[in-house]
Amino acid sequence: MSTNSLIVVDNITKSFAKGSIHALNGVSTHIDKGEVVVIVGPSGSGKSTLLRCMNLLEVPTSGSIIFDGIDITDPKVDIDLHRQKMGMVFQHFNLFPHMTILGNMTIAPIKLRGLTKEDAEAKAMELLTRVGLADRANAYPSQLSGGQKQRIAIVRALCMEPEVMLFDEPTSALDPEMVGEVLDVMKALATEGMTMVVVTHEMGFAKEVGDRVLFMDEGKLVEDASPEEFFDNPKNPRLQSFLSKVL
Amino acid sequence: MESIKLWFEDFAADFRQNFIDEDRWKMLLEGLGVTLTITFFAVLVGIVLGVIVAAVRSTWDKNRTAMRPGIGKVVLGFFNWLCKVYLTVFRGTPVVVQLIIMYYVIFASSNNGTLVAILAFGINSGAYVAEIVRSGIMSIDPGQMEAGRSLGFNYTQTMLYIVLPQAFKNVLPALANEFIVLLKETSVAGYIAIEDLTKAGDMIRSRTFSAFLPLLAVALIYLLLVVVLSWLVGKLERRLRSSEH
Repeated sequence: MSTNSLIVVDNITKSFAKGSIHALNGVSTHIDKGEVVVIVGPSGSGKSTLLRCMNLLEVPTSGSIIFDGIDITDPKVDIDLHRQKMGMVFQHFNLFPHMTILGNMTIAPIKLRGLTKEDAEAKAMELLTRVGLADRANAYPSQLSGGQKQRIAIVRALCMEPEVMLFDEPTSALDPEMVGEVLDVMKALATEGMTMVVVTHEMGFAKEVGDRVLFMDEGKLVEDASPEEFFDNPKNPRLQSFLSKVL
Repeated sequence: MESIKLWFEDFAADFRQNFIDEDRWKMLLEGLGVTLTITFFAVLVGIVLGVIVAAVRSTWDKNRTAMRPGIGKVVLGFFNWLCKVYLTVFRGTPVVVQLIIMYYVIFASSNNGTLVAILAFGINSGAYVAEIVRSGIMSIDPGQMEAGRSLGFNYTQTMLYIVLPQAFKNVLPALANEFIVLLKETSVAGYIAIEDLTKAGDMIRSRTFSAFLPLLAVALIYLLLVVVLSWLVGKLERRLRSSEH
């Protein structure tokens, strides 16, 4: 565990349905500043739960999450303030359908960071231009394709200037044709030095962009390695069989 | 030919007696004013109460399992219980009975009948609005709440900016229906000696001993109000929807 860890996950467990389902069984890891960490694993292995615990969308049953040196699982901590610094992108985009694209992107900076409407819109337009969607600024989410929606969801989170971006299967709900455009945006983000945690089934992305790849199985973190090591020399037998099926 | 002429003369005489003589049309107009006043303010009371109760109920339903044990959970649980009692009592008894109890028991010392009626109808309507709004809140994809929270909004802000605007749009037809029902329900306000539209028509009947025209006029006015209201709601609905598709 290095000193520049942005997020430290310390032995967390998560159980659902009054303890009858154990989604996480004592997971510990750390995310360093500027690192791209990719989490893979079979469905139901707890990888999304782990990601959602990092910004407390799921509250761990035990253990703690340290973000920026502060234990955010402490009930006295104002989690809303910390979430402003942790962007999140969902599988199903979760854009606000009653607002325009610009409205989606500016509501949080205006209401939470006190930006003027002009400043927030200027910032949003700059980001929209970067992902090639400036011409859709005044459209509504229902008028966009899935790939466009996900690119908007990414820049909506970026509008808050987060320190880390959490991606929860960002390409799983997309048509195959649209996966590329979303991954390109994520790659560009990684190149700029953004700290990213990505839950995905895109092994190509993990190989190419990831600094570390984690493998989860039955609520446990069973492999944590560099992409080369992970794909070329997997140690865990469950990972070996997983890789033989997906590659 | 002669009989048609006679019928018209009769009708004209009837009309004059019921609406023109002694300026009786003014009674209807004033009654209409009272009906609209009671309805308007009762709708406001109903919306405020309904949204608060719906917020408490849905917050409890959605977060009960995730909440940490403690004082917050106890307080919210208590308010949820209070809301359920309110819903049971006010949806379980006739509005006329509630109105009479309000006037003769709870506010026996007040002689401001209109105010009592506004409260009675408002509190009654709030119970129905609460369930309508709650169904609207529950119909919104949980992902919307998660997206709002992940941006850093707290629960209340996410409700106000993200969930409620969408919920409101979904329940608008049901809400409009509730308000149309409320407008017509106020016709029992005469029970506590309020001279609303219905009472005015009935008073004209008791003075002219002719029932047909005054009561028909009352019915037509209600019908006209409801038609205009429905039209306005339809317009609003189309406008809200155009922002989405």
